[in-house]
Amino acid sequence: MSEDAVKTFHLQVISVNGIFYDDEAIEIIVPCDDGELAILAGHEEMILAIYEGIIKIKNPKGEWIIGVVSIGSVQVTVENKCVVIVNTVERPEDIDKRRAQEAYEFAMEHLMQKQSIKEFKKSQAGLARALTRLKAVSKYNN
Amino acid sequence: MANIKEIKDRISSVSDTMKITNAMYLISSTKLRKAKKMLLDTEPFFFSTKAMIERVVSHLPAETENIFLETRTDIPERERRRGYIIFTDDKGMAGAYNHNVLKLAEEHIRADGDKWKLFVIGELGRFHFTSRNMPIEESFLFTSQNPTLHRARKIAAEILEYYYDRKIDEFYIVYTTIHGSTCEARFEKLLPLDFIAQIRAEAPPEGMMLEEFLMEPSPSAILDNIVPNYITGFIYGALVESFCSVQNSRMQAMDAANKNAEKMISELKKNYNRQRQAQITQEITEVVSGAKALKRSKEAKVRKSERTST
Repeated sequence: MSEDAVKTFHLQVISVNGIFYDDEAIEIIVPCDDGELAILAGHEEMILAIYEGIIKIKNPKGEWIIGVVSIGSVQVTVENKCVVIVNTVERPEDIDKRRAQEAYEFAMEHLMQKQSIKEFKKSQAGLARALTRLKAVSKYNN
Repeated sequence: MANIKEIKDRISSVSDTMKITNAMYLISSTKLRKAKKMLLDTEPFFFSTKAMIERVVSHLPAETENIFLETRTDIPERERRRGYIIFTDDKGMAGAYNHNVLKLAEEHIRADGDKWKLFVIGELGRFHFTSRNMPIEESFLFTSQNPTLHRARKIAAEILEYYYDRKIDEFYIVYTTIHGSTCEARFEKLLPLDFIAQIRAEAPPEGMMLEEFLMEPSPSAILDNIVPNYITGFIYGALVESFCSVQNSRMQAMDAANKNAEKMISELKKNYNRQRQAQITQEITEVVSGAKALKRSKEAKVRKSERTST
């Protein structure tokens, strides 16, 4: 192996309905509470909470894989492994823009009305989901 | 003995019913195949989430406070408010499936004191409890058809709401698991998470160095993120597994119904043929005896005319 071969680490992205990515990767960018965080090979051990947003995975060929995720967590272990566990993960091309738009309008409409705290939280979470999906669609789908 | 028309009607009604049960059998078998795949897909999520929670909990700084770390054991056994999440189906026609779940749930509810709340999924279970004057949570209306993640998330949000508000101390879940082709009703504790309490109770062995690592933004925030995810995953798993079980039970029930119908039809057909034969025999006898009588009367007439002519 040549010296300048890029170091990789084993990455798993797991969601409730299946494994999204399970292979070597060069880099992953995850959405945190206060911005995005990139993880490279040989990172120190840590556990992270991640929030609604977009993950970007750079595979060994140097291609970027985009996924839209909901809340979850990331674990980096000493064995140069990284596990991302999220509720849902979708590729931007799988997102139905019209449905996302409808969800966005629905959540907005609900937020306008007087609601209990519980309902407010629900519509807020729904709005966050819809917004990230819409953003991902308009950014990566052409 | 029933007459021939009655038997014929009965045969056609049984075979009509058989058409329905046969169709239901086929529908269930395709649904089962789909659901089994969904079940397989959730497994990695489930195990890795559990492993991660265990890892976080065993490395928590001592002063961390979080609602999911509480065990609620300070409340006496009889005083604890319990919530039961019961997974039934919307329809019957699935053998003993619904019955088993309801029986198991009722056993535990009776044994566990009087502070309970029922969260029932599926129309049949709701009907069962309301007809027994056991109050169920009115706003908790979910169907068991076509389990989706969206529904699991809603159910989890609803349940966690009760937990955060401390309206319910413990959540139990009653659902059906499937092993190969046998279904089994299961009763499990959902919240507080038992394995968290277990890890917390086991003090790290003397002299062992605890590895330290970064937890961002804070250990408590991680728990707030990961435990609801786990609950959602658990509920999704239970929804899917119950759906699998109901399809499997329905398949078996419909298979048995088909076999019984076949048996009934063959029995009825035998009966029908016997009746038909008897009828034919009777008709032939009638015709023959009528002909004989006619012949005899003709002969008598001939004889009479011969006598008069001579």
